[in-house]
Amino acid sequence: MEENIIVVKDLHKTYGKNIIAVDGISFEVKKGEIFGFLGPNGAGKSTTIKILTTLLEKSSGKVTIDGLDIDDDQSKVRRIIGYSSQEVGVDDDLTARENLLLQCSFHHISKEKAKQKAEELLKTVRLVEAADRRLRTFSGGMRKRLDLASALVSEPKILFLDEPTTGLDPQSRQDIWEYIIKLNRQGMTIFLTTQYMEEADRLAGRLCIVDQGKIVAEGTPSELKAQIGADKITLHFKANDFASCDKAKELMEKIPDIQQVGQCRDGLVSENGLTLMTKNGSAMVTHVVRTMDKAGINIEQLNLSAPTLDEVFLKLTGKTLNVVERKEAISPRGRRRR
Amino acid sequence: MMEMLSEVWAIFMRWNKKLVRQPILIFFNLIQPLVWFLLFTQAFSAIGNIPSFQILTGTSSYITFFTAAVIIQTIASSALNSGIGIVNDFDSGFMDKMRVAPIKKSSILFGRLFSSALTTIIQVAIILVIGLALGVNIASGILGTIVIFVLAALFGIAWSGISLFVALNTKNAETTLSVGLLTTFPLLFLSASVMPLGLLPGWVQQIAKVNPFTYIAEAFQSLIIKGFVWTNIQNSLIAILIVGVLSLGASILLFRRKIS
Repeated sequence: MEENIIVVKDLHKTYGKNIIAVDGISFEVKKGEIFGFLGPNGAGKSTTIKILTTLLEKSSGKVTIDGLDIDDDQSKVRRIIGYSSQEVGVDDDLTARENLLLQCSFHHISKEKAKQKAEELLKTVRLVEAADRRLRTFSGGMRKRLDLASALVSEPKILFLDEPTTGLDPQSRQDIWEYIIKLNRQGMTIFLTTQYMEEADRLAGRLCIVDQGKIVAEGTPSELKAQIGADKITLHFKANDFASCDKAKELMEKIPDIQQVGQCRDGLVSENGLTLMTKNGSAMVTHVVRTMDKAGINIEQLNLSAPTLDEVFLKLTGKTLNVVERKEAISPRGRRRR
Repeated sequence: MMEMLSEVWAIFMRWNKKLVRQPILIFFNLIQPLVWFLLFTQAFSAIGNIPSFQILTGTSSYITFFTAAVIIQTIASSALNSGIGIVNDFDSGFMDKMRVAPIKKSSILFGRLFSSALTTIIQVAIILVIGLALGVNIASGILGTIVIFVLAALFGIAWSGISLFVALNTKNAETTLSVGLLTTFPLLFLSASVMPLGLLPGWVQQIAKVNPFTYIAEAFQSLIIKGFVWTNIQNSLIAILIVGVLSLGASILLFRRKIS
């Protein structure tokens, strides 16, 4: 039943002579899933999505979309995909409705049906009231919502989203996420790229972590988190009560299920504590508390945290994603960021 | 075929809408040609008194002769905008939206070109009205005026191809603009549009004879000054055809092939 709708084999893309953007990527996307490409700027995400959407020619490799070869059946592929680019490809001189109707005519949808379609989509993305306003007056979030709607006029089988929420405010981001989840529930396969861990974690059923044109890991978010293997328990002790901390450390190191004990102490009140890495965090908490109790050690504070994709990325690539939130929203003119 | 027509129509109407919403653009392109029309012809009006000018052109009014040059300038500056519009589409991401849709690449270009041709016709109409006010009569009458519009639109489409080619190659507005601006004036002065061929120095004549502006100008000049001179109209059509096939052919090939 699990059918692969996108199959990518050994994909390469080189710009000019020696700029390697995509360096041998292979993956499959199953029908009906949300598949994420997570990586920093310049990892090759946009290049990959542009190749998959027929916008860019690959250097080598094989790509099939719903069984269609990306080179031989380009126009057929275009009929079954929707694409929303990072740049937000809408016409600012036209109104929201006109933009949608134009998109409909690109897909050869009859006038009557197009009108209906536009109305329907405007409702979905909550732009009915702004429908006849020119896009110049729209906020970044509204433009993105319209862009998403315009990618949907053809009722595509697969929706490609290139960094759907980059540059958006938190509320708009939340909105976009909701639409994406809704569309997916209706059965649409979604391929998205993102540089936000949170986004990948929240949306993607499966994801690839990409860095420098290569896939460094693939799996469900929880599988990937499990790869780094551990929950983190942090224990804090009373300020300057270094004796307790030292004693606790000794005890903790004796517990076989604790993989790693780290001590932090730099004289600051808040920094008198231990970090424990362990497989089954919640069970371990009870064990830790009991042990401390028996030894008569007072714990000031205890925190349990699951690993995040940030830590996965750090472990795999040796760097943090380090996404600085762009304060400026997508500018009304929608100029391409370079 | 029907599909392609509806694609071209949709894109043509898109550009028309954009134009109607920023009508200032129509006049913006007209400023420079109008300055020439009003000032250059005044400063050089004495050229009309040169006997050989009168013999070669059939008029003693330099402004009447120069009207053709103003029309060509207008066409060239309007053609320039075709490329700029395409560059803007690349920048805004709208081009990718069109390219990912199941439409023909040439529909994208022709929709743009036809809208640009419509703009040219409006601009030429404005020029001719101003010309009438300045005492320029069109010898070939209403029918001849229609022929002027048709030739202007066709040459506009053909000449736009050059700006499209630069735009598709560079995707850069400044370059597209400079190439357009830098070629228009030299080509104008190296043609029979500001001076009849016979009064140009020998080396300029040689260049003018292979300059398409010469043939377009001569067609306009004869329609304005004399009436219907079929060889001139025929030559201008040949010039348009050659420029059009080369520039549009190259643009379409480039657009189809060049992905990125």
